[in-house]
Amino acid sequence: MQKQLHSIRFIEEKCIGCVTCIRACPTKAIRVIHDKARVNYDRCINCGECFRVCPHDAIASETTPPADLKEFQCTIALPSPVLYSQFDRDILPNQILLALKRFGFDYVFDEAWDCDLTTDALQEYLDTTDGPFPKISITCPVVVRLIAMLYPNLIKHLVELEIPRESAAKKFREKAAKSRGIPQEKIGVFHITPCPAKVISINSPVGTDKSNLDGAIAIKDIYGPLLEILPDVEETEILQLSSGIGIAWSIIGGEIMGLRQENCLAVSGVQDVIQTLNDVEAGKFKDTLFLECLICPDGCIGGSLTVQNRHIARRRVRMLIKMFGDHTRVSREMLLRLYREEYFSLKKEIKPTPFPPLDKDKAKAIQKVKQREEIFKKLPGKNCSACGAPDCRSFAQDVVLDERTIDECVFLAREEL
Amino acid sequence: MVENNTFVQQYEIKGWDFTRAGEASCEIKNILKEIGTPPEIIRRVAIATYEAEMNIVMYAKHGVIHCLIDPHYICITLEDQGPGIADINRALEEGFSTATPEIREMGFGAGMGLPNIKRNSDSFHITSEIGSGTKLEMKFYL
Repeated sequence: MQKQLHSIRFIEEKCIGCVTCIRACPTKAIRVIHDKARVNYDRCINCGECFRVCPHDAIASETTPPADLKEFQCTIALPSPVLYSQFDRDILPNQILLALKRFGFDYVFDEAWDCDLTTDALQEYLDTTDGPFPKISITCPVVVRLIAMLYPNLIKHLVELEIPRESAAKKFREKAAKSRGIPQEKIGVFHITPCPAKVISINSPVGTDKSNLDGAIAIKDIYGPLLEILPDVEETEILQLSSGIGIAWSIIGGEIMGLRQENCLAVSGVQDVIQTLNDVEAGKFKDTLFLECLICPDGCIGGSLTVQNRHIARRRVRMLIKMFGDHTRVSREMLLRLYREEYFSLKKEIKPTPFPPLDKDKAKAIQKVKQREEIFKKLPGKNCSACGAPDCRSFAQDVVLDERTIDECVFLAREEL
Repeated sequence: MVENNTFVQQYEIKGWDFTRAGEASCEIKNILKEIGTPPEIIRRVAIATYEAEMNIVMYAKHGVIHCLIDPHYICITLEDQGPGIADINRALEEGFSTATPEIREMGFGAGMGLPNIKRNSDSFHITSEIGSGTKLEMKFYL
């Protein structure tokens, strides 16, 4: 299977060079050059905002096509708990897991159960960590990348616990290899994902050398087939282990719902997360123990690869929490054993990957900031994006970096006439 | 000092303008990131500048933040037209605060502002006159 390095891809034939995506990008990573959008992947955090807003269907997510399952002798599905929120109210998680199995996976495991486990591990971790506070969740790969790129100071705030999909993938791959008597690499482990960013966290993971997953299949790509299979599913076995605590991980506030610690906060949505990280950096949140930050609005149910209206999905999750309870089913004995066995430990330190400075030489970098501000003052400040940059300041910066020339500003060009 | 290598920017701060409070310190922080300042220094500048900016917002009618970035150091000067500080030494004690109940309700006024600024800066100088205002200068060496 070819490994992609990015979660999204621009389809050149479809892109007409409108400026919708460049204005939606929170890190200003996109420019329109010669009527086509171009991404500077060094600045891309894989949030999927461009994918969401593109009116021309010119951005594709790089998820795994379900056909890739055939490349493996044995396949395992690990569905995000978000999948449970996508169907009608009379369809329960166990039926959905069984439908996945009928779809063609040899094994289907309830990833939400690992969310149950990780909630208790997180509780243990927060009780014993020395800080610095607030500790910040690493569940959302976009938030982790955002911090590594723009908030390197906050890296030491990240929770040092493996995320559920990774710990689950490792455990089930080992189990399946043993019971089938085949090598681990012949087994394909696939996450069923609500967002394109998971693909990146699988292909270039942080906190570990190699992801335990082989791919991520978009919920939207598997939803149709599941709808077809569901009416014929017979409940012959129980695959769902999770309680409401694990299922809650699909909505914002879900990670902290099951914690006994009260001094925790949850923030979702690109702009709110960025604002909050700025405030953390300014020292505003030092009295908070734990911060759950998810980039999609309302959490993973707001992922761009989901199919259900996220408000309906949220209501659905609330119902499932009620139905399956918000008390942990994890025995303390088991949890402590797993903790001792380092089941939850991150394998590798998360390293900062900051944006390159305007210049390696500090004096030259300062000069470039000055030049940028001088050019910026000459621009109309209307942020029209007609030049192909998201706003006037970004355009000024492109001019300083010799990527554009100032006469590309339509307002200045008009004055010349 | 080579003039050309020095970036200077000034920010006007209005008292009680809580919607824009913190914007200036955030902008300064972003510029420091753009020029490749070590994260540890950015952390200290961010905390100290934010605290100082909030002091103007909470106590003064008006103030100016003057920011100077040089390849070797950062100097942030904050000058306000505020009530002034009667006893600077006491204000530098942790836990001492003259904050009103309203300010405390917003989560400020724990008496950690000035001590925090002093702790995070490499050099710190404060002068104040009752009834006319306070001037605070802090430096960070790169």
